[in-house]
Amino acid sequence: MSRLDINIRRLKAQRACLNLAAEAIRELPGPVFELGLGNGRTYDHLREILPEREIFVFDREVAAHPDCIPDPAHLFLGDFRETLPRAARDFAGRVALLHADVGTANAERDARLAAFIAERLARILCPGGLVLADRDVAFAGGQPAALPESVAPGVYFMYRRGARP
Amino acid sequence: MSRLDSVIRRLEAQRACLEHAAALVGALPGPVLEFGLGQGRTYDHLRELLPEREIFVFEREVADGLNGTAGLPDNGHLILGDVRTTLPQVIERFAGTVPLIHSDIGTGDALSNGKLAHFLAAFLPELLRPGGIVVSDQDLMQDSAVSIALPEGVRPGRYFMFRAGPGAGPGFT
Repeated sequence: MSRLDINIRRLKAQRACLNLAAEAIRELPGPVFELGLGNGRTYDHLREILPEREIFVFDREVAAHPDCIPDPAHLFLGDFRETLPRAARDFAGRVALLHADVGTANAERDARLAAFIAERLARILCPGGLVLADRDVAFAGGQPAALPESVAPGVYFMYRRGARP
Repeated sequence: MSRLDSVIRRLEAQRACLEHAAALVGALPGPVLEFGLGQGRTYDHLRELLPEREIFVFEREVADGLNGTAGLPDNGHLILGDVRTTLPQVIERFAGTVPLIHSDIGTGDALSNGKLAHFLAAFLPELLRPGGIVVSDQDLMQDSAVSIALPEGVRPGRYFMFRAGPGAGPGFT
């Protein structure tokens, strides 16, 4: 399997997971958190499939296509370690979906960041809220949620916060 | 269609065109040229599709993530620098020998894309052997060439494929 194949597989998995998650939160009010704007592709997809939803984006800096940059009120600019705890206070227990596309080639760094995110999920997500991530963010009170059939295990991870904290 | 949809469509089109071209090249001998290494994805796909072929890649500057990885061609197969300088330097070496060229040089800047495409297009007939195939993200087709039907599912204008006419080769231009 070539790097081109792998890339296509990863992007299609990402899209299938986002579409599934968007459908799954249909009945849940509350905003969406997007961790990692990158070039803005998944943010663009999220706002297309969830047009009525407020989407808050977190990134260290903005490197996205000009059409895919959220307005300042929906952008938490800076290190996740500072912005996420702040947002967790402001939006505690209200977030319907958190999507984290934060993986890099550095597995150690990724594991630390995934753990940092995981520790805050029970507080951020609303009951029944979903987290979808490219790294494993298993958390206390979160149940694994089924991924689309087309997605190979280990490519993406999804958990649902239980109904009670 | 979101930007995520659009990149998936573009990469799938690219893959379908490369696979179609690799099949069409068949037994035509000679090395493959790629203009634009980028993240090394299509280079990796080409070497998987055509494991027996020499592949030479022209790239202005190797991307950070690719340096020092197995995704990089060895020094003998990587021609670094502005293609407007490097291509004229090696044209004699490749003239009339190339059965397949893949060019993926597009950036967000349509004007500079157009200029580079114009530059490359002028060199193609001399590089290609008769019947040689060009796959490109820009329209590089010359009057002497014959366009090739795109694989199913690839929208016209998204990618371009054509075959050099019988007169291709050294001295063509």
